[in-house]
Amino acid sequence: MTTSFNASSSLAPGTWIEGKWHHHRYLVERLLGRGANGAVYLVRRGRGTELAALKIGYDAVDLQSEINVLTTLAKHQNKSDRRMRNSASRPFLLDVDDYKLGQMDMQFYVMRYVEGVTLHQYMEKNGPEWMGLIGYRLLQKLVELHEAGYVFGDLKPENIMVSSYGQVELVDYGGVSRIGRSVKQFTERYDRGYWNAGSRAADPGYDLFAFAVLWLHVMDGARLRRQGPDQLPQVRSANDLINLAHTHIRLKSYESWFKRAISGQFASSHEACSEWKQAAIRSGSKISSPPIRRHTPGWLKGIFVASIILLGSTLYIILQSN
Amino acid sequence: MKQILLITDGCSNVGVSPIVAAAHAREEGITVNVVGVVDQGAIGELGAAEIAQIAKAGGGMDRIVQPHQLSQTIQMMTRKTVVQTIHQVVERELRQILHTDATHIEDLPPQQRSEVVKVMDELTETSELQVALLIDASASMKPKLQAVEEAIRDLMLSLQARQGKSEIAVFHFPGRASDETVMDLDWTQDLSGVGSLFRRMQMRGATPTGPAIYKVIEFIQYDRMVGSDPGFRNQSETDGMLGDYVV
Repeated sequence: MTTSFNASSSLAPGTWIEGKWHHHRYLVERLLGRGANGAVYLVRRGRGTELAALKIGYDAVDLQSEINVLTTLAKHQNKSDRRMRNSASRPFLLDVDDYKLGQMDMQFYVMRYVEGVTLHQYMEKNGPEWMGLIGYRLLQKLVELHEAGYVFGDLKPENIMVSSYGQVELVDYGGVSRIGRSVKQFTERYDRGYWNAGSRAADPGYDLFAFAVLWLHVMDGARLRRQGPDQLPQVRSANDLINLAHTHIRLKSYESWFKRAISGQFASSHEACSEWKQAAIRSGSKISSPPIRRHTPGWLKGIFVASIILLGSTLYIILQSN
Repeated sequence: MKQILLITDGCSNVGVSPIVAAAHAREEGITVNVVGVVDQGAIGELGAAEIAQIAKAGGGMDRIVQPHQLSQTIQMMTRKTVVQTIHQVVERELRQILHTDATHIEDLPPQQRSEVVKVMDELTETSELQVALLIDASASMKPKLQAVEEAIRDLMLSLQARQGKSEIAVFHFPGRASDETVMDLDWTQDLSGVGSLFRRMQMRGATPTGPAIYKVIEFIQYDRMVGSDPGFRNQSETDGMLGDYVV
């Protein structure tokens, strides 16, 4: 019935994958990761050097459903690309086909390879100052998705790839759900229902909520954990999250933004995006942003004192000798 | 669409075989899914085998999980079962329309497959769904009941987001008499006003899983419990609030 692809099995590097319908060939380089609907491989297209990402589905229907979403998004994007030339054109789908592995037909699709590291890795390496800009770019992506009539659903740091100078891409569209339906996939920690803050119906506010918790997690994971899994489910509340944003020094400029996102008060994701931008600019222009406190080592203090004494005695000797 | 979701932690030991009961449920168009909950210890070879057999006979899935994985597991199972049921119906329809034997969705050319899956997604979201949760309340389940209740509330929250009408009902077994199956909650679409689900549960040693499945089949078919505590019939006024008529 369903071609279930054993989740633990994976294709060896050097395997050729040839499509049954379009006959394109792909050479497997390595496994990039696994989503809920399938495994993603880094591949080379044909004999060329061009890299792409190829996703093989565990289940034909689930993968097709994801492909349908991507097709709709691609159409929408072509339209908006024509309107604004500055938006970088990036085709979602390069190829959709089936691959015969032994007796089984497996479904796959090929998309552009997104280079970069996950949000956590990027922030750890480059520091919290990048939050404003990365958040802004991420919100732009979400606005685009919402305008096409979808929510991302499973927004989490693992699904956000960041490359040079904070360029952002969303990866794994398996959880994308049509607005008005139920959210297909979610992760408890970022889920509005888990925090007793609303339903699991797909509306733009669902993504904004997840976006807010996502940043609380990135900026202050330890305190977030104390509010989440360590609490009884009945007492988990959105107010605790608002309070986290309120008491975090780096989130001061964003305090009202977090409050509105967590309590679902934004009229549109467009509004949320432009408010975030304002907050990011305000926060960046302030000198009073928390100073990076560098601890002066004791030996340095000692040398300083010694040099003062040395200077004093030198002056004394010079003055005396005159 | 109708499903029974059995949550248990061991072997049945009284009455008719739960495998027979599950096969019967399937015959009536009810899919049976089974979750085994374990704390530290293992569920035992016998228990695991029985769980797998019940699910297989009932046309459903089986998983053995820790209490903290319960929420996620039962949601996944419920959703997957809906998708699979629709999958089977659609393939049957396709076979009739196209008059071929080989009508798996995978065999369709990409364009047609895309159209068929669109229809399936629509049905997955809009079809009516009833899930009867059947909880093993034998003594060893006691420490896990908190997690079970949380998982049930979480499932309801997810089902509420669907566009189609979604209802759940909750039962536990055994009741006061060892062959009794107690309804904790009649069909409902909302749990927000409902207090503790298992307040008056008495934990006992016996595990009559088979008879309990039969009771639930009976309930789903006739929307009532026959030959059980007469108090069962007075639930409409209480609007899903149990406790009052649970022994």
